[in-house]
Amino acid sequence: MQWLYSFAEQASSAGWLHPSLAYAFMVNALVAACLLGPLLGGLGTMVVAKRLAFFSEAVGHAAITGIALGILLGESPDSPFIGLFSFCLIFALLLHYVRNRTQVPYDTLVGVFLAIALALGGALLMYVAKKINIHLLENVLFGSILAVAASDIIILLVVGSVLCVLFMLCYNRMLLAAISPDIAKVRGIAVVLLDYSFVLMVTLVTIISVKVIGAILVGALLLIPAATARLLCRTNAGFVICSAVIATISCLLGTLLPMRLDLAIPSGAAIILLAGGFFLMANAYQILCKRGN
Amino acid sequence: MSGAIHLQHVGVDYGQGWVLEAINHSFEPGQCHIIMGPNGGGKTSLFRSVLGLTPFVGDISVQWPSGRVGRLGYVPQKAIFEQSLPLTVLDFVLLNLTKVPLFLAPLWPGFKQQRAQALASLTRVGMAQRAHLRMGQLSGGEQQRVLFAQALLHHPDVLILDEPTTGMDEAGVQYLENLMHELVAQGKTILAVHHDIAAVRRILARTPGKVHIVNHHLVDSGPVEDVLTSAKIETLFQHFSARRA
Repeated sequence: MQWLYSFAEQASSAGWLHPSLAYAFMVNALVAACLLGPLLGGLGTMVVAKRLAFFSEAVGHAAITGIALGILLGESPDSPFIGLFSFCLIFALLLHYVRNRTQVPYDTLVGVFLAIALALGGALLMYVAKKINIHLLENVLFGSILAVAASDIIILLVVGSVLCVLFMLCYNRMLLAAISPDIAKVRGIAVVLLDYSFVLMVTLVTIISVKVIGAILVGALLLIPAATARLLCRTNAGFVICSAVIATISCLLGTLLPMRLDLAIPSGAAIILLAGGFFLMANAYQILCKRGN
Repeated sequence: MSGAIHLQHVGVDYGQGWVLEAINHSFEPGQCHIIMGPNGGGKTSLFRSVLGLTPFVGDISVQWPSGRVGRLGYVPQKAIFEQSLPLTVLDFVLLNLTKVPLFLAPLWPGFKQQRAQALASLTRVGMAQRAHLRMGQLSGGEQQRVLFAQALLHHPDVLILDEPTTGMDEAGVQYLENLMHELVAQGKTILAVHHDIAAVRRILARTPGKVHIVNHHLVDSGPVEDVLTSAKIETLFQHFSARRA
């Protein structure tokens, strides 16, 4: 990463880049945004196709409990990754396991699981507040560009690459299984294994997004760019590429703009507000220009 | 000649009593086999068992020609195509043809050939002109034709159809019946669930095949003129619980 910091510093000194990019934390945040954008945008199209929007939101919200557990078990308040990963994974896998074995409608089930996780998180946070300054948690809940360290970029790069390869290898089979599980099974596709793999992918992407977007809002970035692209595109290739581009632009601008405009808002909130703005514009375009189509 | 399907003591129980019980039967190769019966009689359970989509007891085996393992094609009654999901007809067919992610497929060297194969399959069901439309924009009957096209992609030896003409217009039904005739003439085996007695008589008047009535057990089986007689029809299509009473 050192070469990148030096390059950004020299480019800023020479006037090619904005002076704020001379700071290492800013470079880290922008690199993280460039890595997360395409990943969340691409995965988001599958969240929309599989109608798992509520599920991905729930996994993000369950992160509060994971973070509280991690801190109570002795992890650093900046990176309680083990507590976060363990709780989110158990939450997501258990929810999916029960889903396949109950007659309760899926949205009701997610609602119940989410309520239990939030209640548990709320209870645990009281104990966390006795241990640390509770405001430290804002960084992991809503994202902060100041919190992204070089080691986080390495984790993001490694886990992101694995997720990207997995996603590309499984994409067609996952989509076919979402549209017609029966055709997929007859074609020899391991539908259940792919379902659990996707749950694992959503959990992992939630965890690696914690620093920039925040655990609470990551579900929104899995949803909003894909929902926007869905309004604008006709083909599947357009859907995935458009969603990835919208997510990346939101991540980049959401990281840069608060700094440039001197706004004291968390990066996660800025990213989601921008993505939400794109969604509203796409809706307006749909209503005004494609009316009657 | 394509595969023959053998069923030995096949039964299906979803935990609330037997839906199908002690079915012993063989579907000969190279024929069109139409499965009929009352609602709740176990038609769908029977062919879902053949496809391995539902647990069953007993044994089902497909005897493929000349020792090679053949291919099964399946046309479900419907699939979930949300109206606004960006997935064209061509995308859906390609989804069944390639492992290269759809969003990268145009960059892959073999894409042109796969696209041509997908369009050829759509042409067979009269849907090539609508390949650019989103799946959700098609009518139920048109979606059914596209589902048929995906089943034809890998030249299946045995084709299993679940109420294939549901929601189809006259032109669609014509395409489908011609295609069934053509496939059987090529030696393929077709197993289809159907509910329209007139359509079954029409299909089997020109295509070699048999009718099999499933109502908890295999009630009757044979050429259409022997099974679907006016004297038999009323009793054949009574629910098995009413028949017991």
